[in-house]
Amino acid sequence: MKRKLVSLMLVSAMAAALLAGCGGDGGNGGSDEKTPSTDNAGENDNAGDETQTPDDSGETPSAGGGSVYLLNFKSEIDQEWQDTAKLYTELTGVPVTVLTAAEGTYSQKQQAEMAKGDDAPTLFNLGSMQAAQTWDAYTLDLKDTAVYDHLSDKSLVIEYNGKIAGVATCYECFGLIYNKTILNDYCSMDNAVVKSAEEIDSFDKLKAVAEDINKRVDEINEQFGHELTGAFSSAGLDPSSDWRFTGHLANLPLYYEFKDAGCDLVSGQAEIAGTYLDNYKNVWDMYISNSSADPKTLTSGSYSGEAELGMGECVFYQNGSWEYSPLLNPENGYLVASEDLGMMPIYFGVDDANMGLCVGTENYWAVNSQVPQENIDATLAFLEWLITSDEGRDAMNNKLGLDAPYDTFTGDFAPANTFTKDANAYMEAGKTSVAWSFNATPNVDNWRADVKAALVAYTEGTGDWDAVKTAFVDGWKTQWQLQAEAAE
Amino acid sequence: MEKSIKKYFPIFVLPTLIAFIIGFVVPFIYGIFLSFCKFTTVTDWKWIGFENYTKIFYVQGVLDTTFLHSLWYTALFTVVSVVITNLVSFIIAMLLTKGIRGTNIFRTVFFLPNLIGGIVLSYIWLMIFNSILARYSQTIVTTQWHAFWGMIAVTCWQQIGYMMIIYVAGIQNVPGDLIEAAMIDGAGFWQRLKNVILPMLMPTITICTFLTLSNGFKMFDQNLALTGGAPGKSSQLLALNIYDTMYGTTGWQGVGQAKAVIFFILVAAISLIQNRLTTSREVEQ
Repeated sequence: MKRKLVSLMLVSAMAAALLAGCGGDGGNGGSDEKTPSTDNAGENDNAGDETQTPDDSGETPSAGGGSVYLLNFKSEIDQEWQDTAKLYTELTGVPVTVLTAAEGTYSQKQQAEMAKGDDAPTLFNLGSMQAAQTWDAYTLDLKDTAVYDHLSDKSLVIEYNGKIAGVATCYECFGLIYNKTILNDYCSMDNAVVKSAEEIDSFDKLKAVAEDINKRVDEINEQFGHELTGAFSSAGLDPSSDWRFTGHLANLPLYYEFKDAGCDLVSGQAEIAGTYLDNYKNVWDMYISNSSADPKTLTSGSYSGEAELGMGECVFYQNGSWEYSPLLNPENGYLVASEDLGMMPIYFGVDDANMGLCVGTENYWAVNSQVPQENIDATLAFLEWLITSDEGRDAMNNKLGLDAPYDTFTGDFAPANTFTKDANAYMEAGKTSVAWSFNATPNVDNWRADVKAALVAYTEGTGDWDAVKTAFVDGWKTQWQLQAEAAE
Repeated sequence: MEKSIKKYFPIFVLPTLIAFIIGFVVPFIYGIFLSFCKFTTVTDWKWIGFENYTKIFYVQGVLDTTFLHSLWYTALFTVVSVVITNLVSFIIAMLLTKGIRGTNIFRTVFFLPNLIGGIVLSYIWLMIFNSILARYSQTIVTTQWHAFWGMIAVTCWQQIGYMMIIYVAGIQNVPGDLIEAAMIDGAGFWQRLKNVILPMLMPTITICTFLTLSNGFKMFDQNLALTGGAPGKSSQLLALNIYDTMYGTTGWQGVGQAKAVIFFILVAAISLIQNRLTTSREVEQ
């Protein structure tokens, strides 16, 4: 009899364990994550002022307060978000859960998390117009919220289906990062094409300088003790770097074309003609023929443009303001210091005299409209706290390192990022910032994959430039139609 | 004993059964259902019938060959990897049952690659391949055939150890007196192999071919990490192609799901046929 009882207990324990593993959900979806997320129930214990039993029914715990659940896109600042969430909970008692998707898996994570109904993320990231379309049913109109009110540049939003679906989390800029020290050294040489970095103000000048530097690498190294290997960093076409060209460099032909067409610069249009693809080709040719990397092995993934610039092996490196902290992070062991770094526009040979850096963002805050109202309210309050309170602004600036596009970030809270400062300097000098027109790219992964395939073939010498044009122009039309079909 | 097994059968089976239903049967049936729907999240669907299935092949009235391409590419990949893996692991198993010195060390060494995860393994191999190919101004994704043989090398390298262990177990199970009898009858090595060892090994061969076959069709992580489908999409195996469809094209989650259903039917059918074929050649001991 006794034995029977024991075996019965064992069996029920087994069943319970299994069921707990499959079904029971703490309501935050964080249980299966590698990153420790602040747990709803746990935070309630911290807050301590409510007698709350940890519930698995998934209902919002705190008594009318609601809770915030952020599905974070930027995996590099996961810990910083966790800290900020904790700080907010300590200050207000409102539980904030942060879940970070691993690099490159945001849409998968989002797909799974958003299906959780009332427990779904209340705050998530929209990357593009395409995402706004996919998640149209879930985005709240942010028109009358603090984040939109305080936005200093009202174009930094995603407008879809008549509502403000996303408001910029941060703004970023990209262009040509260059090593000031080496460039200045070069300028001081005899027969240098330019006498100062400021003289580089057009594609032709840039190209002349790059070609000259590339030709005289040994001379420069001898004279100044640098370890230069080429003018430009390697133009890696592996997945860790290809977006610099199929995304960011492709932004320029798109931008100028949208500008000519007079359509919205970030929403784009259904068909493009590829008017400026020759300029794109010129820049690309300049990149690959003035660097030390073998153009036929650019897909190998063994190059790191960041390291080349960081170690002083190249002068120019096309990338964005987000490179500021990795380049200066002592853990990476790079040789460059903040004062070595500068960013200039990717002169494109179209309107160089008025060209600034490419300023925009791929990170927009969107609030889930399908969660309970108290959670929506809590989320909006959290956002307002982030951009108006001292603690919140401090977190944005110093912990999260986001260059906030809000009018509340002045004085002590103004951005510290050199590249952002450069972007502002160009603006103040009357140059026009280039919008992030590539945010309009339809089915962005597919389109870029096709452009990349053609670009690789061209670069390796197995394909011609016409294939790139076809992938760029026809691919745009096809993907646009596919995306439009999906919206029906 | 018999009676009490019958009596407690439901109790002991139930937990596993429930887990199986929750973790496999329900998602599977739901998945088939979703392949007929347009959906963003799995709880937010709209019935659209067979539209997803036609989109696999016809996109905007034009024949789309990417799925068909990855279909034959995967089939070829599977055939080649099944043959190489089984052949090589069988040979190694034969050598390592001869009682040479250091047998255990060799077995361990051959088995080790199997303990490393596919992604990690592929990144390591990616570096090796690319460093070698860089001499010839090539990379692993220069053409789809570079990618093909790269993936073959990695998968085979990884699976051979595992299959070898199964073969070793099988070979050790062949009764010594049978072989001895054959030897006394004057059978040479090849005759013993063909008429005694191989027929006795048929159950093992069934298992090993089944495992390598289904692994070949289902291969994903090595594909993702080693080639990512490049150049273009020409080295996408089926699983990666489905993944790409699901997340690459807006509103195509249903199409990805439909491809997954076709994928399932295909793999199930081929595995069943293979199982039937090899099982029929098994002999009673």
